[in-house]
Amino acid sequence: MLSLINKYKKWLYTLVVLLTLYLLIVFLKIDLTILFSDLHYVGDLLKEMFPPNYAIIWENNVVINSIVQTICMAYLGTLIGGIIGFGFSTIASNNIFNNKFISVFTKWLLSFIRVIPSLIIVLIFVIAVGPGPFAGVLTIIISTIGTLGKLFTESIENLDPTSANSLKATGANKLQIFKFAIWPEFLPSFISNLLYCFDINMRTAVALGIFGGGGIGYKLYLSMRVLHYKDAIALITCIIVLLLIIENVSNNLRHQILGNK
Amino acid sequence: MIKKITRLFIISVTILATYFAMKVCGFQPTALQKGLHDSLFFIKQMFPPSWEDFKDLWNPALETIALAILGTFLGSILSFIIAIFAASNLSNKWVKQMVRSLISIERSIPELFILLILIAAYGLGALSAVIALMIGCIGMLGKLFADAIEETPSSVIESLQAGGANKIQIIYFGILPDVFPKLLSYSLFRLEINIRLSVMLGAIGAGGIGYELDYSFSMLQFHRALSCLIVVLLLVIIIEQISIYIRKKLSIQQL
Amino acid sequence: MIKAEGITKKLKSGKLLLNNISFEVRKGEFVGILGASGAGKTLTLKSLIGLMELTEGAVWVEQENNQHINIYKTSTRALKKLRSKIALIFQGYHLVQRATVIDNVLMGRLGTISTWRSLFFGFTAQEKAEAMMALERVNMQTFANNRVNALSGGEKQRVAIARALFQQPNLLLADEPISNLDPKNAKTIMALLKELSVFFPVIGVFHQPELCAKYCTRIIAIKDGAIFYDGQPNLDEKTLEDIYGEELSSILQ
Repeated sequence: MLSLINKYKKWLYTLVVLLTLYLLIVFLKIDLTILFSDLHYVGDLLKEMFPPNYAIIWENNVVINSIVQTICMAYLGTLIGGIIGFGFSTIASNNIFNNKFISVFTKWLLSFIRVIPSLIIVLIFVIAVGPGPFAGVLTIIISTIGTLGKLFTESIENLDPTSANSLKATGANKLQIFKFAIWPEFLPSFISNLLYCFDINMRTAVALGIFGGGGIGYKLYLSMRVLHYKDAIALITCIIVLLLIIENVSNNLRHQILGNK
Repeated sequence: MIKKITRLFIISVTILATYFAMKVCGFQPTALQKGLHDSLFFIKQMFPPSWEDFKDLWNPALETIALAILGTFLGSILSFIIAIFAASNLSNKWVKQMVRSLISIERSIPELFILLILIAAYGLGALSAVIALMIGCIGMLGKLFADAIEETPSSVIESLQAGGANKIQIIYFGILPDVFPKLLSYSLFRLEINIRLSVMLGAIGAGGIGYELDYSFSMLQFHRALSCLIVVLLLVIIIEQISIYIRKKLSIQQL
Repeated sequence: MIKAEGITKKLKSGKLLLNNISFEVRKGEFVGILGASGAGKTLTLKSLIGLMELTEGAVWVEQENNQHINIYKTSTRALKKLRSKIALIFQGYHLVQRATVIDNVLMGRLGTISTWRSLFFGFTAQEKAEAMMALERVNMQTFANNRVNALSGGEKQRVAIARALFQQPNLLLADEPISNLDPKNAKTIMALLKELSVFFPVIGVFHQPELCAKYCTRIIAIKDGAIFYDGQPNLDEKTLEDIYGEELSSILQ
């Protein structure tokens, strides 16, 4: 009996998977027939979108300003979030403070911050300071604290303890150990993680813009709203180019930093 | 000496840039202080969550999960097919370069935008959301899958090739069994991301718990909104824990 | 029978990787190819199956009907058929680690099975029986349902040879098959290869001249891309030094 099941194992797996797919599709009430019959609407939409109106990029600085605004949002969020997150991570690392309870609690706190969807965080800040890039920056700061808090803690905990221990043996206090033994080792991964987070935050900044966070994401949303599709395509091209450049620069710098040290 | 000057230079540039960025974004800590009071007051108003509404939220929650799972599953398959063309050991230089560029471009397109285009074609609803999630997977999974495929030792491919196997056979017999745990692990990681996206897309109208959340807010039913929020949090936590658990087992077991 | 004729590979910069390599190998011969690193051994082996682009030259393979076909001048379909009769084993990492031993052996005949059938219907009972026979030949039949990643180096190579046998090849090529093995396993593999050479020609690239002297019927030495020596397997010190350069004499002290 077992060998029979074994023989048809491949077929059994495929069957179970297909069945689950079918059940999911039925549960969601997805009508697959319109997939192809309504496809021409996409064609109609694409026809309205081309040729893209790249002229809006140059007329009256608005687009350039929003691009700058998005970059500033990501920059501020990463910088401030990185500093605060670093502070948290020093508490959370189990090789800095010797109190296990504090470190576990801080780690849990960071996890909790990460779990809350940024949608909800941006809502809170929009109520506090109104829609716009300020709310966006604050949201990015919070999410960065969560992400970098975790990444930094991992880096710090993975540091080679020998240099710190040898300094401790000579009688240096905690602050001195930190400055001379821990910080130099930690610096490459610190900068690398910052760059990585900046890349992510650029995308978040664009996405938040659609929710009223300002920047080029907001402009994109506006143009889609008023059905100015040619403008929208021009803006999305800007976004794609911008994000590609940032990703490339970030990756190259990180390879250099991690390669050297 | 030079080191000190460079350090000073970097610090001053950073301070200037920060000041400039703060101006551009309208960064006013005082406004934040005042505003936070309003926020906290508002949040306090939302308590307690309306317990009766929880049973109504069961179905939307399942919808959100279903959307995320379906989108991730189909997205993985699509990404794998694309990754075959993006792997240097399976396709020629030009095709690989072009496909990798397309994958990078997709990574830079916000999923929300993809959804908006799909809504214009197929209307609000689950179909648009699933397709948006599917396409959204390509940017991340396409790259990760292609990198994993490239890690297959060339000798495996060459020995099968020398025996006369064609490309499809090489992929199915030679590459897929070895690379499968990695594919599963990456897909589960993407599932965590997709459950959050599913909530977000739902808020735009695709359905599920995201839609209920948006609806509650627009109807000023803040207690119900808090219930929705709690459900969202629970969903995200549960899916994350399941994903982390399975991925940990995968990395220990398959060595 | 396989015959390399004037194989030459020239890089765009003008450097000659392979220079007019010609030799012929028949059934009953166990040929060992020796040479310093980078001399062109692996390239030569790869050209024998057509996995290397050549600037000049031909590789003639004898078919059952006594016809000779040039690997570099055949259609894709004929090439696939030709290749299904040529077995290739490597130094290591050429088995699918997470697949079972018997599945790996069965993969040897993928060239002769249609894509549709192999993907959806698997292998016939007859094929599975023949795969087991191949495993018995190398004494690995008890491991048939184990995953390859649980085996030792020597066991993995035996599975690789079983896969080669399952192909029912006309020719067996081996690229440094014993370089990763301890001396005992290395000798087992060499003995096995010698036994097999009775049925079809075996050509292997090796870094172990002593073992070649003991097991091979013929040695071809390649130096700077050209054939330096082609003949009896027991080499004297002078020839070894010429092949490998100065360092070897100090090792032999």
